[in-house]
Amino acid sequence: MGRLSLLFLTLAILGCLISVEPSHSQEKTIDDQVNEISNSLLCPVCQGQSVAESNSNLANDMRQVIRKKLQEGQSRDEVVAYFVDTYGETILGAPPAKGVNWILWILPGLAIVFGIFGIGIFLYQAGSNKEEKSIGTEKNTPQSDSEYLEKIDEELKNDS
Amino acid sequence: MKFFRTANSIVVFIIILVFIILLGYSIFGSKEAPKPSPLIGKEAPDFTLNLFDGTDLTLSELKGKTVLVNFWASWCMPCRQEAQALENSWQRYKDEDVVFIGVNVWDDSSNARNYMNNFGGAYPHGTDPEEEIQVDYGVGGVPETYFIDSSGFVRDKFTGPLTEQIIDYFVTRAKEDRDNNIEDENKL
Repeated sequence: MGRLSLLFLTLAILGCLISVEPSHSQEKTIDDQVNEISNSLLCPVCQGQSVAESNSNLANDMRQVIRKKLQEGQSRDEVVAYFVDTYGETILGAPPAKGVNWILWILPGLAIVFGIFGIGIFLYQAGSNKEEKSIGTEKNTPQSDSEYLEKIDEELKNDS
Repeated sequence: MKFFRTANSIVVFIIILVFIILLGYSIFGSKEAPKPSPLIGKEAPDFTLNLFDGTDLTLSELKGKTVLVNFWASWCMPCRQEAQALENSWQRYKDEDVVFIGVNVWDDSSNARNYMNNFGGAYPHGTDPEEEIQVDYGVGGVPETYFIDSSGFVRDKFTGPLTEQIIDYFVTRAKEDRDNNIEDENKL
């Protein structure tokens, strides 16, 4: 009974929170969207900084424009397309995966795969060479040496 | 063992192939010179400026005229450098359906007024209270100047201080477009 009342109490609190939250969470969503879009765009007048990171006048203006366009009901893609139309594709933090750009996207993955493959081959070859060497050294064990020494001794005896 | 030797060769071959493809693209790939602005050839974004004389000016109302839009700020030294050239050019072009507009950005209005008193402000200058024009035009810094033809299309963009020769060159190009358009309309 105690557990059941606790469950009801938790649900009631959650219900209150949900009913109170909408306007706040909607505002937060726009903030999040502004941040997300600002992070995906490079500040045109800064070196290596995104629009979100930069304190330049232009970056401030750009953040304002992003917010305004979102409030007008434009989607993320529409806002990003607007900046690409205005500043060119160089404004994008990540190059779009189209045309020759796809090489930039798949090359790191390929490099990792081929790198692992290459290391595997190297290790395998190193292992097999070691085996060959160890086979070669087995022939020079004291036992095999002694056989040779015995033969030499015999030949020396025969000569004498 | 033989398999690994073959695989090893394939990996090396692929790496060399990728390298050759990238090298080939960098040498023979897209030779098109990057445009100074993606807006060139597109319709100029419309704007309404609050002019310093208290009136408003809307770009779309100037269709049929060649328009020079110059972005400047009072703290910008190259802007002071080009101010005289802009004034002189405007005096020569004002009777030829060429409109000069100064857009003051990232500035304090009293500093901007002082600047205009010192460096001339015969043609219309103003600000956008929304601070959006500079983003719409993809302005990265000041001074930057856009040349708009009579059809309302961005013809050229120039970054840096203008001289009278540079202004003449770009205004003539923008006017040529207008002349071509008039010829085309007459043919139709």
